[in-house]
Amino acid sequence: MLVRTDIPVQTPAAGAAAALWPMERPAGPLRPGGRMATIARATGSVRDHDGLIEAIAARGDREAFKALFAHFAPRVKAFLMKSGTAPDLAEELAQETLVTVWRKAALFDPAKAGAAAWIFAIARNLRIDAARRQRREMLHAMAEEPEPELAAPPDQDMEAGERQVRVRAALDHLPGEQRRIVELSFFEGRAHGDIAGLLDIPLGTVKSRLRLAMNRMRTLLGDLT
Amino acid sequence: MTVAHHPTEATLAAFAAGTLDEGRMLVVAAHLAACPDCRKTVRLLEATGGVMLDDLSPADLAADGLARAMAQIDRSDAAPVAPRRAEVIPGLLPAHQALLAPYDMGPWRWVGPGVSWRQVDAPTLPGGRVFLLKAAAGTALPDHTHTGTELTCVLTGAFRHEHGRYGPGDVDEADDDVDHTPVVEAGSECICLVAMQGRLKLNGLLGKVLQPFVRL
Repeated sequence: MLVRTDIPVQTPAAGAAAALWPMERPAGPLRPGGRMATIARATGSVRDHDGLIEAIAARGDREAFKALFAHFAPRVKAFLMKSGTAPDLAEELAQETLVTVWRKAALFDPAKAGAAAWIFAIARNLRIDAARRQRREMLHAMAEEPEPELAAPPDQDMEAGERQVRVRAALDHLPGEQRRIVELSFFEGRAHGDIAGLLDIPLGTVKSRLRLAMNRMRTLLGDLT
Repeated sequence: MTVAHHPTEATLAAFAAGTLDEGRMLVVAAHLAACPDCRKTVRLLEATGGVMLDDLSPADLAADGLARAMAQIDRSDAAPVAPRRAEVIPGLLPAHQALLAPYDMGPWRWVGPGVSWRQVDAPTLPGGRVFLLKAAAGTALPDHTHTGTELTCVLTGAFRHEHGRYGPGDVDEADDDVDHTPVVEAGSECICLVAMQGRLKLNGLLGKVLQPFVRL
C-alpha cells in the first residue's frame, strides 16, 4: 500500500483526476438518505448532511465533521473495497475523502449538489489519483506536480430533497438485471468486458442493458438534472 | 458550438464510475467541456453513485480513523500550490488547454504529408497510447482500419468521414470494424485528441507506401 505520510492531502481535487471532471461540484441532486438518515430524521437527532457540510464551511464545526465522518467514512471505505481497493488503502482514502470534505466545504453548494453525490465524486477521484500515484511511484519516484483546476460551469438550481427521493425511486424501479449492471459498473470498478464475463452475457448485452437503464433514469429524472 | 457526436452511454457510465483508463477519460473530459447534454448525463450518473454510496452497508473503520482525520484537519493549511506552467497550444479552448496542462507532451512528429502527432503522457491501458493528431486543412488521411479501439475528440478544426462531420467537441468512437477515410475540412487545420488501443492499419496504395513511416 501507499505510504502517504509525505504526501499532503490538501489538493486531491487539484489532481488530474479532478481536473478531468469539468464539474468541480458533482451537482448530484442528493440529500442524505439511506436507512440511517431516515432514522435520524425520524428522531430529529442528527442534522441533515448538507447542513453539516455548510456548518463546516461557515464555522469549522468539528462536531458536524464528526457526524459526517461517522456516516460517510465507513460507506466510502465500503465503496472503495468493493471496487477492489485493499482495506488499508481504502481506510486511508476514506479518511482522506472526509478530510477533503473539510477542506473544500466552502465549495459545496447544496442548491447544486447533494452531500452524497459530492462525496461520491471526491472518493472516486481519490481512488483514481491513488491508482495513478501507485503506478507512477513504481515507474519513477517522482513527486506529483500541482495541477490546475477547471472552473465549475454554472449549474441549474435544483430542489435537492425532491431529487434525492426521485433518484432513489428511479433506481428502485429499474429491472433487477439493469440495476445489477449499474451497480457492478459503479461499485466494483469493473470494465464492461469484465461484467460480461462475470454475468456470462455478451458484451453487447451489458451495453444495451446499461443504455436501457440510463434511458429509463433519464426519462424519469430528465427534468431534474 | 454545436456538438453532434457523443460518446456512447457505456463510455459515459464508465467515466462517471471512474473505471475508464486515464487516456480515454481525458478524451471524454474534452468532450464534456464542450457538451452540456453529456455533462447532464454524467451529473445524473454521479447522483446515482451518491444514492448507491449512501445505501451501502458501512465497512468497519480503524479504531483511530476519526482521530487521524481530526489530526489532519488540525494541521495548518499548506500553502496554495503554484500552477504549473504549461505550453499554450494555439487554437484550443481554454478548457482544453487546462485539461492538457498537467501532462507532459512529446514534440510534434511527422507522420505523413500534412499530418503530425505528439504523444500525451497520460497513462492508459497496455498497448494503448494517447496523442494529439494534427492535420492540415484539406488533408485526406489514408484509408485505415484499427486493430483495437480508438476514441477521438476534435479540439479544433473539423474533419468528415462516412459518418458525418466532426467539429470541436465531437467524439468519434471507432473499433476494429470501422474502416474510414477522414478528410480534414478546408479552411483550417484540425487537431484531435486520440486515445487508441492497438495500431492503425493503413489500406490502399498510399497506405502501403506510408505504413513503414507511420508509427501510429
